[in-house]
Amino acid sequence: MRFFLAASDRSLIEREGRGAFSFTVALLAILALMPAVVLFKAALWPSGSFDPAPALAELSRPTALRATWNSLESAFLSALMAVVLGSFCALLIGTSDMRGKRIFALLMTMGMLIAPQVAALAFKTLAGPASPLLKLIGLAPSPGSPNPLLGRTGIILVLGLHHAPLVMLTLLAGLRTMPNSLIEAAQIDGATASVLTARVVLPCLAVHVAAAAMLAFVAALGNFGIPALLGLPVNYVTLPTLIYRQLSSFGPGVIADVATLSILLALIAGGAILGALRILDGRSTMLDDDGGLQPYWRLGVWRWPLQVVAVGLVVVTLVLPFLSLLASALVPAYGMPLTAHTITLRAFGEVMFRQASTVEAFRNSFLFAGGAALLLAVLALPVSYALVRIAGRSRATLLFLIELPFALPGIVIAIAAILLFLRPLPIIGVSLYATPWIILFAYLARFLSMATKPTIAALTQLDRSVEEAASLCGAGFGARLRHVLVPALLPAMLAGAMFVFLTAFNELTVSALLWSAGTRTLGVILFSLEEAGLTAEASALAVLTMLIVAGLMLAIDMLGKRLPRGVVPWAV
Amino acid sequence: MRKIILIGAATLLGCITFATAGQAAEGKLLLYTSQPNTDAQQTIDAFKAKYPKVEISFVRDGTPRVMAKLRAEIQAGAAQPDLLLIADSVTMEGLKAEGRLLGHPTADVTAYAAGIHDSEKFWFSTKLITTGIVYNTSAPLKPESWADLTKAEAKGKVVMPSPLNSGAALIHAATLSGSLPGGWDYYKALKANDALAGGANGDVLRQVAGGEKLYGMIVDFMPIREKAKGAPVAFVFPKDGVSAVSEPVAILSTTKNPVAAKAFVDFLLSKEGQELALKQGYLAAHPDVAVPAGFPERQTIKLLPFDAKKALASEQAYRKTFSDIFGQ
Repeated sequence: MRFFLAASDRSLIEREGRGAFSFTVALLAILALMPAVVLFKAALWPSGSFDPAPALAELSRPTALRATWNSLESAFLSALMAVVLGSFCALLIGTSDMRGKRIFALLMTMGMLIAPQVAALAFKTLAGPASPLLKLIGLAPSPGSPNPLLGRTGIILVLGLHHAPLVMLTLLAGLRTMPNSLIEAAQIDGATASVLTARVVLPCLAVHVAAAAMLAFVAALGNFGIPALLGLPVNYVTLPTLIYRQLSSFGPGVIADVATLSILLALIAGGAILGALRILDGRSTMLDDDGGLQPYWRLGVWRWPLQVVAVGLVVVTLVLPFLSLLASALVPAYGMPLTAHTITLRAFGEVMFRQASTVEAFRNSFLFAGGAALLLAVLALPVSYALVRIAGRSRATLLFLIELPFALPGIVIAIAAILLFLRPLPIIGVSLYATPWIILFAYLARFLSMATKPTIAALTQLDRSVEEAASLCGAGFGARLRHVLVPALLPAMLAGAMFVFLTAFNELTVSALLWSAGTRTLGVILFSLEEAGLTAEASALAVLTMLIVAGLMLAIDMLGKRLPRGVVPWAV
Repeated sequence: MRKIILIGAATLLGCITFATAGQAAEGKLLLYTSQPNTDAQQTIDAFKAKYPKVEISFVRDGTPRVMAKLRAEIQAGAAQPDLLLIADSVTMEGLKAEGRLLGHPTADVTAYAAGIHDSEKFWFSTKLITTGIVYNTSAPLKPESWADLTKAEAKGKVVMPSPLNSGAALIHAATLSGSLPGGWDYYKALKANDALAGGANGDVLRQVAGGEKLYGMIVDFMPIREKAKGAPVAFVFPKDGVSAVSEPVAILSTTKNPVAAKAFVDFLLSKEGQELALKQGYLAAHPDVAVPAGFPERQTIKLLPFDAKKALASEQAYRKTFSDIFGQ
């Protein structure tokens, strides 16, 4: 009798959730499928009929070939560097008895959440003969020597540093799924910490390392801010910067060409993502739920040297860039040394109060990122519900469609949005181009995955029986939503919204091509200031955004206690 | 008596003109410009001080990018700007030929030399911006001519703006290739000397002031202004002559606020607007406005010959030739 009731309730829950399922399918058709369709249409059906010749001609241009090679090479080498650094950090945090793990993980993650263009500007002003910081300590190279961070080497180094925390977080998540009994068994057999690491932990972690490497590769492939600031001035182009340069210098006449380049970029990234998914497939579940791996490595005499290395990493990825930006923002003109006589707050005054465009950019970034974050937090509820409770066999496909626009380089989404919305929309006859809505659309598509991850995790942990019990008591879908689901999922929805806000607030890749008068974001203004030669102003703006990111991360950190394990990635 | 009536009528007319100009200029205005952000902000601030009822804002990017943005908006059927203030008149001629500009027949250009504005008053030159050579003051060589940049001492140390990013750079390439003996061979020699063509004028300034490169081709006002602030740079007008653009202003035919847009054009052409250009460190187009500190007298600046008609016809070809030489 009890069983019978439960079974009928289950089908009732599923029937009532159908709406959420259809809604999710429709949403994904708009946010993921439509962009893909218009891209292929623009590239391969340029004049209505199938004609791959112009696309092939574009791809075989020397510049396109060079950009493809540069993209592959910089993504590969930077991913390698990120894996080395990230694995070191993850092992130190996850397996050793180092001090201050939490703050170390938080600071490393902060280095990643700082916008790429901000990091690039920081490293650009850090090295080279003009570096205010190097001049301050008398170490600046002599005039006439090139800035070592401009071009290929600099891009690879900064990408590698920027993505090391990504690898670190992926591996920490991997370590959390390893059963501690493995360690205990090996310890009983008398294995030392180093043998244990080499023979037990690393082999188990290998799949995660491979997946993390793929993620770092894809992230580097799609990165725009770093190669734009460090590459374009010296004519080193990657696929995203080539797409940007073509479209922003030649206008909509070359849209078919940039659609072709976008597809090439998407295919390379897509291949790597599928590889990563395959590797990780079915291996992320904990074998034995005993709370995951516990630190086993007593560092002993090695603790201090390693602790110093860890602090050094934080200095290189976070402290030096920040100081360099601050110093560049405080000199009156680029190339001058920072002294007690030259120091000035003019650049801060200029970007905070004088320049209408930067004030407007602060407002826009707050509005667009905030709007996208709120909307996505709300959308995450039906989407996660459909995925966890209803989807069944179609779950994998839906998950793939959610991941697609996030994993693909942002510039690809931007091109798709232009293709979709440049011409006036069919029925209402109004174009979304040059309005905030086109940017909001791109943000929704791109960050849906980020918003749904925490709610999916939370909903998976929320036992179905709670809802069934409510249903038995006569609670319909609306009442269950109000009294059971939303209260239980609210912290996760909030966390998702905050991650979306953090990323969208600093974002440049999408808005670099979609901005218009009145819709310029902080990223766009920073890039524009730097391109106009106003390095002090750009640095001042960068310092301000870094402070905002730090504040937001601390807020998420404080919220972390109320979230399911693994939602706040740096919480260890 | 007649004289009094005339004076009275003139005063009345003056009042009416003044009143219409003062009252009717209100509402929103959007300017697309290639002026650096800080200059553009000063320009619109000065205009706002005079016409407080006009809410004017601006968007800034290099001329080719401003045009690319505008082209996309025209395709979307939503051209945003009311006004353009961009590097060169060749681009303006192109827009005028397409019928995208609005004429301003009542603009007062009596103070200006003949031939510097559009004869049908569709666009108006506001400045004279030349492109010459900047060098870092610690550089061993003080360049005097364009050919000096191809010398062995400058190998790998020269940077120039790309016509893909800068309107002035396009005119400069068109001028040099059209007037130097050997034409584009000069640019090939620069490439052979490992010269870099990357971003826009701002990048050139940054790289030369920062000492990453020692010599650059650049618009005059940037290094002259930075030198005054204390940056280690100096500007040279090469002895063979310089290229020049006039930073023209024009009203778009799709403007919803022609009255205020005309007021903006009038403001830029007025003595007051021209004095602002002087204060910002530009060579003003108005012949009676003084030359900013750091510039030679107007007559002593030698301009290289430039064929505007040919430039309009072969704009794309210039870009392509340049891109091919520098691998862009």
